[in-house]
Amino acid sequence: MATVQTPPQTQLTMVQAIRSALLEEMERDQDVVILGEDIGVRGGVFLITEGLIDKFGPERVIDTPLAEAGIIGAAVGMALYGLRPIAEIQFIDFIFPGFDLLVTEAAKIRYRSAGQFGVPMVIRSPYGGGVRGGAYHSQSPEAYFVATPGLKVVVPSNPYDAKGLLIASIRDPDPVVFMEPKKIYRAVKSEVPAGPYEVPLGKAALVREGKHVSIITFGAMVQVALEAAGLLAADGVEAEILDLRTLQPYDTQAILTTVAKTGHVVLLQEAPRIGGYCAEIAAYIAEHAVEHLEGPIVRVAGWDTAFPYALEKVYMPNAQRVVRAVKKTLNF
Amino acid sequence: MRIEPFTDTPLSILAYDGTPKENPDSLGLGKDDYLHMYRWLVFVRGVDDRGYILVRQGRAGFYAQIAGQEAAQVGSALPLLKDDWMYPDHRSQGSMLVKGLSAAEWFGHVLGRTLDPTQGRLMPHGPGRRDLHIVPPASTVGNKITEAVGTAMAQRIKKRKEITICYMGDGATSEGDFHVGMNFAAVYQAPALMFVQNNQYAISMRTDQQTRTKTIAEKARAYGMPGYFVDGNDVLAVYAVTKHCADRARSGNGPSLIEAYTYRYGPHSSADDDTRYRPKGELEMWRTQRDPVTRMRRFLELRGWWSEEQEQRLQAEIKAQLAAAMEEAEKSPPPAPLTVFDHVYETLTPHLAWERAELAAELGV
Repeated sequence: MATVQTPPQTQLTMVQAIRSALLEEMERDQDVVILGEDIGVRGGVFLITEGLIDKFGPERVIDTPLAEAGIIGAAVGMALYGLRPIAEIQFIDFIFPGFDLLVTEAAKIRYRSAGQFGVPMVIRSPYGGGVRGGAYHSQSPEAYFVATPGLKVVVPSNPYDAKGLLIASIRDPDPVVFMEPKKIYRAVKSEVPAGPYEVPLGKAALVREGKHVSIITFGAMVQVALEAAGLLAADGVEAEILDLRTLQPYDTQAILTTVAKTGHVVLLQEAPRIGGYCAEIAAYIAEHAVEHLEGPIVRVAGWDTAFPYALEKVYMPNAQRVVRAVKKTLNF
Repeated sequence: MRIEPFTDTPLSILAYDGTPKENPDSLGLGKDDYLHMYRWLVFVRGVDDRGYILVRQGRAGFYAQIAGQEAAQVGSALPLLKDDWMYPDHRSQGSMLVKGLSAAEWFGHVLGRTLDPTQGRLMPHGPGRRDLHIVPPASTVGNKITEAVGTAMAQRIKKRKEITICYMGDGATSEGDFHVGMNFAAVYQAPALMFVQNNQYAISMRTDQQTRTKTIAEKARAYGMPGYFVDGNDVLAVYAVTKHCADRARSGNGPSLIEAYTYRYGPHSSADDDTRYRPKGELEMWRTQRDPVTRMRRFLELRGWWSEEQEQRLQAEIKAQLAAAMEEAEKSPPPAPLTVFDHVYETLTPHLAWERAELAAELGV
C-alpha cells in the first residue's frame, strides 16, 4: 500500500535548526565549508557545529587559530576562489579584529571589481544580551554592518526562520552577516521541517496582527514585543508586530503597509539608541509615510552606555518599556 | 646560486654591473628566456613611464610608479602558471601585465574608462581580472594578505595544483594582517607565496623605522616557514627564488616568504614629495649603479646577445605598441552615471532602485 510521504516536522531549538541548515547545505554542496574557533571537536562554544567535523572532516570543518581577522580574511579569499565559506565568530563582540576585512574587503570587492568577483560568504555569530555576558559577550552591533553597502544583515527570531534564512544566506551571492540571538538559542522551539527550505532575504514577517500600533523589531526583541502585546491586549490595545528578519536590505513595503494600517510606530532594538538601526527605520518612515502618522515614532532601545554585567536587567529593553512607549505614541 | 633561506645578504646571480656570479643557465634558462625577461622589463617600464605622464598632463588624478622595482615584479610573475592566483598590492602593475593584463586596460584604468576591467571603481592602484585570476588590489595596506592565504587554503582544500602569490610592501609587514596571514598560511601549509617588495620606504618611513629585524625575510622563522632574502633588482635571482618557492608550494610543501630587496625611484605616489625624506645622492646611486633593467641588459651584452641597434628597435617597437594602447584607452568612454548603482550587490535592492530612480530624474535620463 502506497503511503503519502510528508516531510517530517520536528520541534527544534534555534541551535538545532541552525545545525540542520549547516548539515544539509554541506551535504548538498561540496563547496560549503565552515571555519572558526573551536568549531571542530569542541562543536563550537554553543554546540552549533557539534558532530559536523565527524561527518565532513577537518578540510571542510576548519578549526582556526584565535584570530578573527584571519577567519574573515581567509573566508573572503575562499569565497573569491569559489567556495562558500561560513565563518563562525564565537561572539559578535569579537568581530572587530576582522571588521576591517568585512567592511573594507568583503563588502566592496563586487563593486570594486565591477561585478567580476563576488564574496558568497556568511558570517554567523551570536549576538545580544540577557545571558549575563557583560560588556564583551552581549552587544548588538548591527548598525555598523548595516551602514556598509555591500553587506547583507540577517537576524532570525525563531528556529524556523533561522534555518530558512541561513540556507538562503548560504546560497546568496553576497556576503551576509548572520546574527544569532543567543538569548533564545534554546529558549524558543518551533516546528522545523527536515530538508532544506529558504526563507527569502529582504522580507519581513508579520508576527502578530493588530490595528492600533505597529511594533517594528527583530531578533530576540520579537519575544519582548510579543510579551508587551499580551499586556497591551489586556488593556484593549491591539499591537501589530513586524519582524524585519533582514536588516539590509530591509522590507520597505512591509514597513509602509503596517504604518499605513495603524498610524502609530514603536521601534524596538537592544543596541544603544544613538545611531542605532531603528534610527534608519524611523527616518525611512518619516520620509515616506509621514502622512499616516498620528503620533510620534518612539524608540525603545538599550541605553547609550556600554553593556553592563551586574545591571544587565536595567539595560535590556523589556515589555514594560515597550508598553510605556506604545502609550506615549497612542496618547499623543 | 644556492637557494637557501635566512641569508644575511641578498641572494643574487648577477652582480650590479650585470656580470654573472655563476652561470644562470643552471636554472634551466636559455637565450630566448633571457631575452623574454629583458623585453618584459623594458615593456613594464615603458607602460609605467607612459602612465605617469597622464598625471603630469592632468588627465589622471593619481599614480604610483613601479620604476626601480621592475625586476622584482617581472621576476616573480614569470614563474606563475595560468591558473595561479595573484593578489597584487598597490604598486604591482608590472606583475599584472606579465600575468596578462593589457597595457590598454592599464591605461584605461588610470584614465577611469570603461576599458578598465574594473570600470574606474578604484583609484589607479591596479584593476583586477577574474579570468586571469588577478584580484583587484586594495589601497588599504595589508588587507589582501589574509585573503590571499584564504584563496591558497581553498586551492589546497580543492586539491588543485595551483598556488597564490600575495604582493606586499615593507610597510605592510607592520600591519596585524601580516602576522595573522603568515600564521594562517603556515598553520594550514597553504600554497602561498608571501612576496614582499622591500623598496625601503613606506611613504617616508624607512624600513629600519618599521622593524628592528635586519631583514624582513627572517620574520618567517617565527611562523615556521622559510624566508628568502633576494636581490630584488636581479631579475634572474628573483625568478629563481620565486620558481623554487612556487615549486615547493605546488608540491604540497607549504608557503614561503620572499623579501625582494629593491628601491623605488619615484615618490610614493604622484601626491608625495619624496625630496623631503630621501638622503641626497641615494636615488642617484640606485639609478646609476643598481638599475634592474640596465643590469639585465649588461648581462645580455656580455653574452653577445644584445646590441645598441637591437635596443633601439625594441624601444621603438614598444613605443608604437604603447601609443596604440593609449589610443584604445582614450577612445573608451567613461562609465555612464547610472552605473554607479551596479554591483553593490548581485541584484539591485529596493533601496538602491529608489536611489537610482532619484538620480535618473535628477540627470533627466
